[in-house]
Amino acid sequence: MTRLLGPERQRLVFALAGALIVLNVVSFTFGQPPLATLTRMWQGTWGTPYGIGQVLFKATPLLFTGVAFGVAFRAGLFNIGAEGQLALASLVAGLAAARLGGVLPSPIAIPLVVLLALLVGASYAAFAGAMRARLGIHEIITSIMLNRIADVVLPWALAMGLSTDGVRTRTIDDAVRLVSLERFVPALRGSAASVAFPMAVAVAFTVNAWSRRSRAGRELEWIGQAASVCEAQGVDVARRRQQAMALSGAIAGLTCLGTVLGYKGYYELGLGAGAGFSGIAVAMLGRGGPVQLTLAALLFGTLAQAGLAINARVPRDAMGVIEAVVIVLMAAAAHASARQGASPSKPSPAEVQT
Amino acid sequence: MRLLSLTTVAETLRMAAPYACAAVAGVWAERAGVVQIGLEAVLLSSAFASVAVALATGSMVLGVSGGVAVGVALSVLHAALVDRTRIDAVVAGIAWNLLAASGSRLGLRALYDSASNSPSIEGFRFGPTGNDGWQVLARVLCDPVSWLALIAILVSPYLLERTRLGLRIRAVGENPTAARAAGIEVGKTRLVALAISGAIGALGGVHLAYDQHRFESGMSAGRGFIALAAVVLSGWLPGRAALACVAFALLEAMQFVLQDLGQASRAVTVVQALPYVAALVALGLGIGRRSAPGGLGKHAEG
Amino acid sequence: MAEAIEPRIELIGASRRFGERTAVKALDLTLEPGRIHALIGENGAGKSTALKLVAGLLAPSDGEVLVGGTRLDEASPRAAMARGIGMVHQHFMLVEPFTALENLILGAEPVRESPLSRLPFVGALFGGGRLDLDAARREAERLAAEAGLSVRLDARVSELSVGEKQRLEILRVLFRGAKAILLDEPTAVLSPLEVGELYATLRRLASRGDTVAVVTHRLDEVVRFADDVTVMRHGEKVHAEVLDGDARAHEEATIRRLTRAVMGGDVPDATARRPIAEDAPVVLELTDARVDGTGSRGLAGVSLRLRAGEIVGVAGIEGNGQRELVTALAGVAPLVAGRVALDGAPLFTSHGDAPSRVREARRRGLVAVLDDRHHDELVLDATVADNLVLGDLGLAMPGAAVDADEAALSSRRFERFAVEPRDPSRLGRELSGGNQQKVVMARALDRSIRALVLGQPTRGVDVGTARVIHEAVAEVAARGAAVLVVSADLSELRTLSHRIVVLSEGKLVADLPPTATDEALGRAMLGAYTEAPGGSR
Repeated sequence: MTRLLGPERQRLVFALAGALIVLNVVSFTFGQPPLATLTRMWQGTWGTPYGIGQVLFKATPLLFTGVAFGVAFRAGLFNIGAEGQLALASLVAGLAAARLGGVLPSPIAIPLVVLLALLVGASYAAFAGAMRARLGIHEIITSIMLNRIADVVLPWALAMGLSTDGVRTRTIDDAVRLVSLERFVPALRGSAASVAFPMAVAVAFTVNAWSRRSRAGRELEWIGQAASVCEAQGVDVARRRQQAMALSGAIAGLTCLGTVLGYKGYYELGLGAGAGFSGIAVAMLGRGGPVQLTLAALLFGTLAQAGLAINARVPRDAMGVIEAVVIVLMAAAAHASARQGASPSKPSPAEVQT
Repeated sequence: MRLLSLTTVAETLRMAAPYACAAVAGVWAERAGVVQIGLEAVLLSSAFASVAVALATGSMVLGVSGGVAVGVALSVLHAALVDRTRIDAVVAGIAWNLLAASGSRLGLRALYDSASNSPSIEGFRFGPTGNDGWQVLARVLCDPVSWLALIAILVSPYLLERTRLGLRIRAVGENPTAARAAGIEVGKTRLVALAISGAIGALGGVHLAYDQHRFESGMSAGRGFIALAAVVLSGWLPGRAALACVAFALLEAMQFVLQDLGQASRAVTVVQALPYVAALVALGLGIGRRSAPGGLGKHAEG
Repeated sequence: MAEAIEPRIELIGASRRFGERTAVKALDLTLEPGRIHALIGENGAGKSTALKLVAGLLAPSDGEVLVGGTRLDEASPRAAMARGIGMVHQHFMLVEPFTALENLILGAEPVRESPLSRLPFVGALFGGGRLDLDAARREAERLAAEAGLSVRLDARVSELSVGEKQRLEILRVLFRGAKAILLDEPTAVLSPLEVGELYATLRRLASRGDTVAVVTHRLDEVVRFADDVTVMRHGEKVHAEVLDGDARAHEEATIRRLTRAVMGGDVPDATARRPIAEDAPVVLELTDARVDGTGSRGLAGVSLRLRAGEIVGVAGIEGNGQRELVTALAGVAPLVAGRVALDGAPLFTSHGDAPSRVREARRRGLVAVLDDRHHDELVLDATVADNLVLGDLGLAMPGAAVDADEAALSSRRFERFAVEPRDPSRLGRELSGGNQQKVVMARALDRSIRALVLGQPTRGVDVGTARVIHEAVAEVAARGAAVLVVSADLSELRTLSHRIVVLSEGKLVADLPPTATDEALGRAMLGAYTEAPGGSR
């Protein structure tokens, strides 16, 4: 099977098979014929132009967070703080957009809002990066704490005056909204997809090119493979790691493009929540490159949208379970295929030095 | 001020139990060299399982065993997957957390047709009723789940430091390659360590559920994550990890006291961030900045 | 482990392949009880693999392994131990934070039975019971006295000297009741005196009927201490003989015979160094340099001057400050006191971090190659082409990294040392040790060099490549650079150096000509150990 499919596709097959099994079991549990559930899922997603638009909309934040996690992961860092980074960045973007919209012309206001979101995401992540670089505290621990702090502080801040009703910011002016995709593809009418999706794809491709071609990107990859070697060869490992964390946080901050600027027009509690963790799954599945990453984001976007489509009969929490199963199966399959592919040409380090 | 009343002491002890169980579970896993950020999942899934079994059988004791069984199963699955498929333990842990959160909600809908909580269970009701400080404290001290947890926590240092099993677990956690060369089966040893970790963590989950007399969606509320910080702060020592958890619990208990003080305004909710900020500050100050087990996240080579 | 074990071990037509590479080819080998068997050959000749086949740590791809006449059918440390075979690895397999005693008992722990531990479920949970450290200590002390091994049982491994760690490893093998003990390059890290003690211990074990096998590359100790010798080349047995009194009596002739077998022909005496100009100026100067050690004493005040064109060798027992000397000069480790000057101007004066120090050293022309290839020099998962420019991105070519300059740089370096296989897109880990070192040297020597510092430049490198590296180093010196070579291989130091200094406990204790005898060097290497306590401080 490996030979027929190649490791990338084999992983996908594994993952989809696992997803189907879980779906069948859950469907039965809730007294729904699996086929009917599947049909409903199809109709809610790729079956209609509206569904397609919704999938693109759901995939947008996931693609951003997937790129964000991937860029740090390449350097051997775990930015599992995207959840908090995107929440803070979205809040700030919502506030700034509400303030600037209508005041400044949109060609200035929108970039300014995006820049702010980038900076907020980057700084929140850079804090974790600095703790690692300066004090040697693992970014996983710091990121988790920062996520929880954001969880508490955001509702508090909204309640304390950043909003009138305690849950959402003021609605932004149309001038700072991103153009909806239905402007270009009328069939998508009514869906929440905006130009944020093509922007996310562009970011995926840009970051990939940067990783492979720029000095910083290549040094980061070597750091991820052998930090001690880079250290001894004069690569500024600590600084590069901080840069990687900040970049990762900045990209996570871009998530607000799809949610705040592209769809809602305001920030509300929980907007974009979950994308931080799902992004890890996207990054894991889409390890091959920007195309794979985009496809992975679309897959998880489909799951999320399908969950909504079936929610009336089968709780959409089923999709969370499926996502978890997919993550585990993919990661496990990745290793299995790496081992099969590696044995003839790539001996392990222990075997090389006889 | 009632900040340090008997009630606060009782509340602190009550709240410390799930934290401490999760933290000691984390110590067991990480001393064996297995990164386990799925403590949250262990808490949540065992809390759900204990309530489900208790409701299905009507036996509270069986409920406890059910919760422990699920905690052990999840932990052992984690160890086995990480060892066999070399899946990244962090990624796996995130998957478990997602699985437990979604799965338990799905379970609530499937079994009890509710989105938020299960029907209530009897739990263990020992000790006096009433809301005086001493009565609350007495109830906490009469809780069998707390006692189970306390015993598990107290016996952990002994098991880790003085027994054959403990020596092997520490060896595997410090240097799996050397342990393997000494004839120790690294995978199996980690499996045993994670089974113990899962059991202790599950006691925390059971405590949560039995304390509330029902299961609530997302009731672990980040305790597994705080426990992770406690593990690092303790320098991977079970006793200290438990103590750090008591400190976190005290912070949490104070919040309730503060809120009770009438300043029920929304301004006070920000103190909920206190444990996390405290953890970050403590880490930043270098408290317990001892190095992690040398073999953490490593596999045996050669 | 209790049953009597007949420790004769035989390999019959045993082969072992790793992927496409055959490390050991159809090897027949018999290890007899009561004798010390030496296995010699060049690096990569397959000796270590052969030893692991004998030990039952690797399964043969073809052929079989017989222990006491029965086939060994499971290859694992456990299975080997159960058959009474113990191995002392080249890289010690010790758990650093544990005490010596804990390491000793690990995997074969004596426990105190208690009523609790006899219960079926609880007993398993309590791991079969509480460790009986007293019993373990008694047994260990008895075995240590019997074999003549002294180890501080309550010290942590990180506090033990290299020799002590090795004795602990041997004691551990004995503690498990092994009747066959196999050692992989046990003497590479020992002083001449410790080598003598090691073989005395091994002889004691052999004389009570144990089987002993040693992989080594030091022919003199083979002739002096072994009973049987097997020579391997390219994975095959090319020579074997019994070393009787006659062979020992004609030590030099025997060594020549064995050398020819190892090399596959005669080897001319190589002297790579060139003469130094009379008026050569001082290029590199260390004044009372002190460096904190990692797990050792570090560098405790070293002063040294190197002139242009001069190659100075640094000898010493491993862990006496060699690594600290090299890492400090590379800029990786900070000096805690003292000065380094290059061409008369001080170096490392600003309080920068490691990366800026490394770059400063390189900019000024102080180029270093560290001793741990996989830890410090080569990204195994990156391509050869990438490794060839590692650390030079943005130095030679500011700004964009991927451009014509880089490609030219990379391919020039690749060609300079004729790296095999001839494909720069291979990964570092796919190369043999020798070719990995070629990549490392190609990158280092292509820089502009005023002073060159080398840590173990040919460790784990085959003889042919070693010769190429030596030639290149001598050439760098001939062009006017000062060269400092740290090596555990005395013959390498003799080939290259104009003089050999000896490090002991972080201090220079001798400055000898390259013609100095092994004995003289060995005495100096032990220098500080033989001094009265406190004398060296």
